[in-house]
Amino acid sequence: MAHKKVVFLSLASDFGCQVQVTNFPELLEMLGSIDLSYWQLATSAHMPEDYDVAVIEGAVTTQEHIELLEKVRGIAECVIVVGACACTGGVVGLALNHDLEEAARTVYGKDASKVAWGHIAPRPVDAVIPTDFKVMGCPINPEEFSYILQRAVQGLTDHPHRETLCSECKINENLCFYKQQKVCLGLVTAAGCNSNCVNRGRACTGCRGLAEDANLEAAREFAAKFSLENELLEAIEVYNTARKEA
Amino acid sequence: MFFRILQKESVSDLIKGLAQTREVIGPRAKGSEFVFDVIENPDDIVLDYTTTLLPPKKYFLKSKEEMMRYNSKTGQVSEDEVAVEPRVLFGVHPCDINSLLLLDKVFLGDYVDPYYKARRENTLIVGVSCMPTQMCMCNAFGTGEVHDGFDLFLTDLGDSYYVTCQTAEGANLIDKYCETRAVEPADVDALQARIKKFNEAFVPAPDTSEIPLLFDAKYDDPMWEEIGDPCLACGACSMVCPTCYCFNVRDVQDADGVSGTRVREWDSCCFSDFAEVVGGHNFRPKRSDRVKYRFYHKQWGYLSRYGEVLCVGCGRCNTACKVNINPRRVLEALTKGGEE
Repeated sequence: MAHKKVVFLSLASDFGCQVQVTNFPELLEMLGSIDLSYWQLATSAHMPEDYDVAVIEGAVTTQEHIELLEKVRGIAECVIVVGACACTGGVVGLALNHDLEEAARTVYGKDASKVAWGHIAPRPVDAVIPTDFKVMGCPINPEEFSYILQRAVQGLTDHPHRETLCSECKINENLCFYKQQKVCLGLVTAAGCNSNCVNRGRACTGCRGLAEDANLEAAREFAAKFSLENELLEAIEVYNTARKEA
Repeated sequence: MFFRILQKESVSDLIKGLAQTREVIGPRAKGSEFVFDVIENPDDIVLDYTTTLLPPKKYFLKSKEEMMRYNSKTGQVSEDEVAVEPRVLFGVHPCDINSLLLLDKVFLGDYVDPYYKARRENTLIVGVSCMPTQMCMCNAFGTGEVHDGFDLFLTDLGDSYYVTCQTAEGANLIDKYCETRAVEPADVDALQARIKKFNEAFVPAPDTSEIPLLFDAKYDDPMWEEIGDPCLACGACSMVCPTCYCFNVRDVQDADGVSGTRVREWDSCCFSDFAEVVGGHNFRPKRSDRVKYRFYHKQWGYLSRYGEVLCVGCGRCNTACKVNINPRRVLEALTKGGEE
């Protein structure tokens, strides 16, 4: 059977997730199981008109992005979105807390409209087109990307972690940050990273986005017991602002 | 079975002796808490610990384990060989020893689990007595004492331990590696004083009479929404539970797209996809349904199958749950009412 044709493209992002994939020790093995037709980061060629799987990184921030996504969806049988920007809007979504024109002027100066045009409110990819798989995280874990890519290539369906991160933190026998009066987003964030940050002594910042099973009301009440309710809500904004809007 | 008195300063001799032929696992400090971990230096073991973050279950039913390797091109599958080094769990509390006996009924019963069995057979258990904390509830289930399931058991008498030698292997090892002496009448007196002190230290147990009957009678009671709606769906209760044994199995394809690993991992009935089936139907769509199910299985489902309650009152879920969902609260809500 011929290998599936895969394209890898970016919207608004820092290309960090593509870099993560290049860091993957099993990258060459992965390339042996797919036909990588286009990789925005690693090639100057044009994107082909025919492919099976589209891997998309980055948030939607321009009208051009929307047109590109609609075209991609019409061609690819399977769309995989990778990274926080593509999955939830990520930190790009924080622009929603500002006036967009003013934000552009802050970054590009008074002639912003000459260099940056067509801006729309940032949103995750699935606010524009239906997606089939999500690889969460900022940046993504290349092993998880490989696992999901293989599922996609085999024609399986996505099975995202719906539960929150505290489950993995318990398995790793970490001490809870709330006992030290510190906010941690593990209690509302989707599991699947093996509590990577907390294992290293840092509280969860929620890069995998709110879990489908998250119970925000109960989490707020819990944080309020430590007088951390506002800090909790503020921390949730970082990766979930565009998600909420979409 | 016979009994010995072991001076506390000789415990390190026993640990060093055991370490000659096996890996020694015991409770050690992690920040303000305790965990079961490899003991390389006998000074690291803390035998008067309160409880550990995870129970000893993690050494028998691993949180994540490879069941087999496969190759989808050749159709070859590796045999389920479980390589287990000889091991001793040193310093296990009665509740946790009892929890292993409950897991045995599941994994060594009608369908023997080779992974669990290999680890169980290669592991010696040295129990140690404890004092109840505010979270402990073994007094409700009679699991604060053990009669089986260990090789040696050390009851703390202050400067010494009253050692119960349950198995021949345990007895041989203690004779081989450390000095002990015969039990004297004063030791029995100290043992009795210790038992009294232990019993008096408990928070009174909730009423457990007719719990299965009340579970069925109150199946649709609003108490379940009140207790279960705040569930954060983190599954912390199941992860820290010494008797939760549900797992998920999935195949993880390698990057080459040909070979892969079948993996087994801990699961929780508090996750929303636990009771979801092909086609998308979910038998327990609400948080409160899932929380109710968890307690129902612990207090009634397992009991109907194996004749015992699937809770040893270790108190870990009580500590781990951020929204106050715990067996004491459930039992108190179930037994509330009926006053004249």
